[in-house]
Amino acid sequence: MVSDAAGMAPPVTGKAPAEGPPKQIDWRRLGIYAVLFAGVLIAVGPFLWMISASFMTLSEVSLTRLLPEKLLWENYATALRRANFLDIELATDPSSGVLQSFGVSGYIWNSVRITLITVVGSLLVCIPAAYAFARMKFIGRNFIFALFLSTMMIPGIVMLIPHLLTVIWLGRLSESIFGPAGAWFNNWPALTIPFFASVFNIFLLRQFFLQIPMDLWEAARIDGAGHPRFLVSVVLPLSKAPIMTIVTLGFIGSWNALMWPLLVTINDDWRPIAVGLSNFVTADTPGDLNLQMAASVITVIPILVLYFIAQKQFTEGIAQTGIKS
Amino acid sequence: MLNTRRGRILIENLTAYLFLAPAGCLIVLFGLFPVAFAFFVSLHRWRRFPDEYVGLANYEKALGNLGYILFFWLALLGFTAALMLSRRLRTRLRETNAPGQGSAALAGVISGYAALLVIDWFFKLIPVIMLIPRQVRGRDTSLALFMEKFGESFVSPGVYEAGNLMLVGLLCSMVVVGALFWRFRSAANGELVILSAIMTTLLVASVFLLRLTIQETELAINAARDEGESLPIWSQLVFVSAGIVLIAFAYFIFQRGVKALDNRRFALLVLGGVSLAVGGYMLMAEAPAALAAADDDLLQGFWVTVMYASGTVPVQLTIGLLLAYLLFQPIRFRSFFRMVYFIPYITPFVATSIVFRVIFDAGQTAPANRMLALVGIEPQRWILERSTLGDLLGLPDYLAGPALALVVIMIYSTWTYIGYDAVIFLAGLGNIPGELYEAARIDGANGWRIFRHITLPLLSPTIFFLSLVAIIGTFQAFTQIWILRTGAVGNRVNTASVYIFDELQNSNRYGYASSMAFVLFALILLMTLFQNRIMGRRVFYG
Repeated sequence: MVSDAAGMAPPVTGKAPAEGPPKQIDWRRLGIYAVLFAGVLIAVGPFLWMISASFMTLSEVSLTRLLPEKLLWENYATALRRANFLDIELATDPSSGVLQSFGVSGYIWNSVRITLITVVGSLLVCIPAAYAFARMKFIGRNFIFALFLSTMMIPGIVMLIPHLLTVIWLGRLSESIFGPAGAWFNNWPALTIPFFASVFNIFLLRQFFLQIPMDLWEAARIDGAGHPRFLVSVVLPLSKAPIMTIVTLGFIGSWNALMWPLLVTINDDWRPIAVGLSNFVTADTPGDLNLQMAASVITVIPILVLYFIAQKQFTEGIAQTGIKS
Repeated sequence: MLNTRRGRILIENLTAYLFLAPAGCLIVLFGLFPVAFAFFVSLHRWRRFPDEYVGLANYEKALGNLGYILFFWLALLGFTAALMLSRRLRTRLRETNAPGQGSAALAGVISGYAALLVIDWFFKLIPVIMLIPRQVRGRDTSLALFMEKFGESFVSPGVYEAGNLMLVGLLCSMVVVGALFWRFRSAANGELVILSAIMTTLLVASVFLLRLTIQETELAINAARDEGESLPIWSQLVFVSAGIVLIAFAYFIFQRGVKALDNRRFALLVLGGVSLAVGGYMLMAEAPAALAAADDDLLQGFWVTVMYASGTVPVQLTIGLLLAYLLFQPIRFRSFFRMVYFIPYITPFVATSIVFRVIFDAGQTAPANRMLALVGIEPQRWILERSTLGDLLGLPDYLAGPALALVVIMIYSTWTYIGYDAVIFLAGLGNIPGELYEAARIDGANGWRIFRHITLPLLSPTIFFLSLVAIIGTFQAFTQIWILRTGAVGNRVNTASVYIFDELQNSNRYGYASSMAFVLFALILLMTLFQNRIMGRRVFYG
């Protein structure tokens, strides 16, 4: 690393480096590209092989062929069914052909539902809080903000047991009020409500809200708008980028969640995809590696698509929080 | 009235609290309260329902006598923090002479006591409430019955008195603080109130902790004496603490020695430092005895965590920095590279761990073994391999290192986090002003010197942040270990967190699992403080 760093320094010409290299083969830059492409290969190599292996027969996977002889698309159908990822039941009336009932189940559907609830709830809770920290003066603001931030440093495992006890007990409370539908354990509240108030989201939004010019607020106040009105009609329309980041991060977070759902789900009613995939694979040892790969690809694809769509805001959002804290 | 200045400030405050209320309630419920609650649970035998109070027995089970010693240290740490706060408070009082400061400090003390009374009441109430479901079990669980029991628990003996005391405390605190702000309106006073309230809370909590620890230690010693054994907790406490103090002191002296200009001074200081360290190490020889009764699986978990952190964090930071530095050069496709490097970090860990499970399979023809065959190394059993790296390379026992299965997990984590580190390093590099490079170049500095004397120091906040995140990440690591561990390797790959999770899921021992989690928390806290002091001093904030 030492020699690399020394080798890649811009030449001492007194010119700004942006003015471009001399017109000859630049070995230094070639070296840079070689290292960077090697990095690309290492970063995506496992993915490429995963996709390739998901189309193979089992023996091809175990022999580590690079490419399948024939694309076995049916691996995906089998994996979807065997891993209980998605199950759509359509019941049509036999005489008229009208759709009578429509039922979706499976881990993908569960994860989608969990994600939606988490993200919407999180936005509803975090936006006002972030706005208050960024734009309002109140007693104890810095103290409360520091208190919030300090919870980010507490490792998850410490919170696990108290969270579990809190959820179980709040569930009993709500069950005795709302009946069985109000259960928390093995139901959506346990999987979503603890993640509504994300300090990270509050922090991200606050940093963004701080950048909104003060003049806008002055103008709005002269027009007679209060804080709630200003937040809804001026700040929110300006904050598409951080909201997009939060939606993406929330999606990834709930799609990835494993430890907590393992604890609070006991059957497939609300079990998210990560748990489903994990159970599928660990129950299947050594098992059908090609189907495991297909199931993994299915899990990865939504995240990758989302990432490619929201990529720019996303990496920049991450980078900004990293720098400023 | 609402149009006066005071009225507007009031409205603004109320709106702000309203905006904060949902997030605040949830964070208190799922962020702050759990820490106190975990501690509370750890003092009990607790399976599905709270059982009897057992004091520090869970900690003794986890760490042996060191459990008690740890609590002495925690109490000491609390006192130190309270002392530092009180010093800050005193300088604050002396330096500025705004009106009402003395009363602000007093109001803070009263509020601190009120907060403690609330906590006290709350933790007397909680066990009573938690027992309700057991009481109503079997009976017709109607809302009315539940609410009746719920109401009863507020007036049950103990809780009722604590509740009244709390109400009095809260009322006093509200009156005092309200009067203060009515009389002297200034933000400085608000900070003073908070500062002295925290100080009071910390001080009383430390006293409580110290008393609890001494009581429990005496109980344990007496219990051992009744069985005809002696439990040398006190001497162990003195020896181990003295050992650690000596080593810390040795480090301090050694540092000064290294910086000394005079040769004789240098020799003396270094010699002194080294001999102090040796003395400290000899005193520390008591530590294994203090740990004799500890839970071996937990100790193994800590050891795995240490190996895991020291094997991944430096590697991933170095490679991440290298990639970021390369990306920062004037090259094309920068955003393409950045996007691709980030992929392993954002894709679901479950899925990528499964791929690694297949790649590092034990079979002769598994991808990793195929690659080894290319360079002529015989196939390994990877995720099924229990033997350590040291065994495989034929090194002596004390160089054993991590099991090969753990190495696979370390490779996996490095692979996932490099891109994240690189992206953040890249942003950090972008924040360094270009004029500095130019000035250095005019002064004739070459590439390495620029990197060493400009880039690294200016990047140190980023490095600090990333290493903190990475180390905390090792304690959080779960998914990759859950997927990549196999029955064949036993506890060789279980970090402390994973062991605690196992203990929780398999045997429902909430009390014991909580105590272990709390020990882990204390360790992380100590480590973060230590890292802040050691590394924080070297961090350069432009």
